[in-house]
Amino acid sequence: MTHFRSRSKPLPLPVLLAITVAMLAPLAGFLAPPAHAAGKTKAELVELLKAVDVRQNSQGDWHSHIYMEQKEKDKVDVVYEGEVYRRSQDQKFVIVFTKPKASQGQGYLRIDQNLWFYDPAVGKWERRTERERIGGTNSRRSDFDESRLAEEYDPDDDGEQKLGAYTAQALTLKGKPGIDLAFPVVKLWVDRDTKNVLKRQEFALSGRLLRTSYYPRWKKAYSESKKGDTWFPEEIRFFDEVEKANSTLILIKEVDFKPLPQNLFTKAWLESKSR
Amino acid sequence: MPTLGTNFRIAFRSLIQHRRRALFLGGAIGSVTALLVLLNGLSTGVHETMEHTATTLSSGHVNVGGFFKVSAGQSAPVVTDYAKVLELVKRSVPELAFTVQRGRGWAKLVSDSGSMQAGIGGIDIKDEPAFKKVLHIVSGNIDDLAQPGTILLFEDQLKKLDVKIGDAITVSAQTTRGVANTIDCRVVAIARDVGLMSKWNVYVPMVTLRALYQLSPGTTGAIHLHLRPSEQAKAPQIAGRLRATLEQAGYRMMDPDPRAFWMKFETVNREQWTGQKLDVTTWEDELSFLTWTLQLLQVLKTLLLLILVAIVITGIMNTMWIAIRERTREIGTLRAIGMQRKGVLWMFLLESLLLGAGSAVGGAIAGASIAAGLNRLQIAVPLSMQFFLMSDHLNLSVHLGEVVMAVVLLTILTGLAALYPSLRAARLRPVEAMSHFG
Repeated sequence: MTHFRSRSKPLPLPVLLAITVAMLAPLAGFLAPPAHAAGKTKAELVELLKAVDVRQNSQGDWHSHIYMEQKEKDKVDVVYEGEVYRRSQDQKFVIVFTKPKASQGQGYLRIDQNLWFYDPAVGKWERRTERERIGGTNSRRSDFDESRLAEEYDPDDDGEQKLGAYTAQALTLKGKPGIDLAFPVVKLWVDRDTKNVLKRQEFALSGRLLRTSYYPRWKKAYSESKKGDTWFPEEIRFFDEVEKANSTLILIKEVDFKPLPQNLFTKAWLESKSR
Repeated sequence: MPTLGTNFRIAFRSLIQHRRRALFLGGAIGSVTALLVLLNGLSTGVHETMEHTATTLSSGHVNVGGFFKVSAGQSAPVVTDYAKVLELVKRSVPELAFTVQRGRGWAKLVSDSGSMQAGIGGIDIKDEPAFKKVLHIVSGNIDDLAQPGTILLFEDQLKKLDVKIGDAITVSAQTTRGVANTIDCRVVAIARDVGLMSKWNVYVPMVTLRALYQLSPGTTGAIHLHLRPSEQAKAPQIAGRLRATLEQAGYRMMDPDPRAFWMKFETVNREQWTGQKLDVTTWEDELSFLTWTLQLLQVLKTLLLLILVAIVITGIMNTMWIAIRERTREIGTLRAIGMQRKGVLWMFLLESLLLGAGSAVGGAIAGASIAAGLNRLQIAVPLSMQFFLMSDHLNLSVHLGEVVMAVVLLTILTGLAALYPSLRAARLRPVEAMSHFG
């Protein structure tokens, strides 16, 4: 004890500080976010978003065949088939349904920043909002359009997270001021290796989670206009987080980037499809 | 020349003498009058119930609503800076009794076990005592609707949402700028159905509606103008005048369109304009999707009455022919002792008019009494009828003016039916008439 007491003289302040820091260091390491999360700067995250956008954009014309299946509680499943056409340079866009028979010829046309819906049964065009649920499913026009994440959102780093077998970079995206977006907050999980989106969650202004989307399969195709590969999700699964029983499956097939006719993005063309 | 009094006496005695025929004919006229009174009472009752319910639940007698468009394809049913509009309304509508402001919206209601699309009405319950009187609350407390984050539902909606008082419902909609938003509301009151309107209407506090759609405190859905009772029939004229006044004050106005506001989205979204446009409507415009039932009722009533009146006229004419044939010798005698042709005509006409008026008065009294009895019984109407009547029980509204009109109409019709046979009777030659056997 004496020996011990003889050692208990007050230590110099610098030594005390050094010991305190050394003792707290492991604790601080435990409480702080993972080192890899702190590793991404804002600029790097923006670059990541740009990379996600660039990988998916064909920078020209696009045509694909789509299959949509909507499941809703207490309702009969709805299945649509159709064609999607889009043009990058002026953001024109067309969806025309080919199945079921009742919806054959119905379609959406986006020209001059306006989304129009055509129903051949009534022969009328109706202007719809950009947030229109396509064919009453839980998919929106933007789900079939080019990715513009870097243009529309500011990213925040949520670190790397495991998503099944994949390691994903998680980001929280907040809508840029002055841009009207359907979802003001989006959480995104981007595959660390491929830069493909694996999962996406969209939130309401109130902060409530509205929709979770999964992108289990990605495919690439060569785009002549881009002079490179364009990646697209072959399959997207949307889960309604407000009405838990509702879900939508989208399959994107037969993608090609050949130039489309000039008259395709017109009301007359869409009307002609039902004649 | 017999006096009017003598003619009356002759007509009255003749009716007494031919009492079987008079009773039969009078019964028919009385029945048609009673039916006319009842049918009028029914259509007036439906109209009044509809007006009263609609002007409390979803509309004023006149409304100033409108649309605000952020972009050409994105419209919201709002009136921005409504205080200025309200001030102008108060200045230019002297017929005004009071005004209320209501929020308007369309959203998805989601509970744990179901969902439905619904029209959302934003209401300041403290400012609307009449609202509480119209609704019959079967569960909960309507005054709790003063608290933010609460909701009032109708019984019919429970089938889809399966909720009870205290349960939470998520209301999901897009703000006026198209941003997805949700708000959680606690069910505080469940009201008995009020027809078709309770199928898709729910109410939340105005502050909750503003939070859902991200509206500023100076923005509302519509200003409801409630007119003094004596001025309510002038609603279309007042709406026209108000439209002109607002236009003169510099507001952009929508073209008159006699439809409910929610039926105009398609038209509004198709148009290129952006910004604010005001719309002035009457309660009948806002209920145009229901008022066809009134028109249908009116058409059915008219058809039925035309058939009945045709039967009655034929009956009267036929009976008069028989009466004239039976009384040909009497006519001949009267003509022989100096009665002029005009006198004979007048005698028969008076007899018919007396019969018509007496029977019509009796029928009208019977009709009004039956209507009063039915009202007292509070007869429940089938669910399918409640959609249109906006009430769960039958309401017949009999007004004195309409009763008098029915009596006058039936009396005149009886007189007209008797005119031709009376003319023929007056043309009989005394000698031939006196020698008539049959």
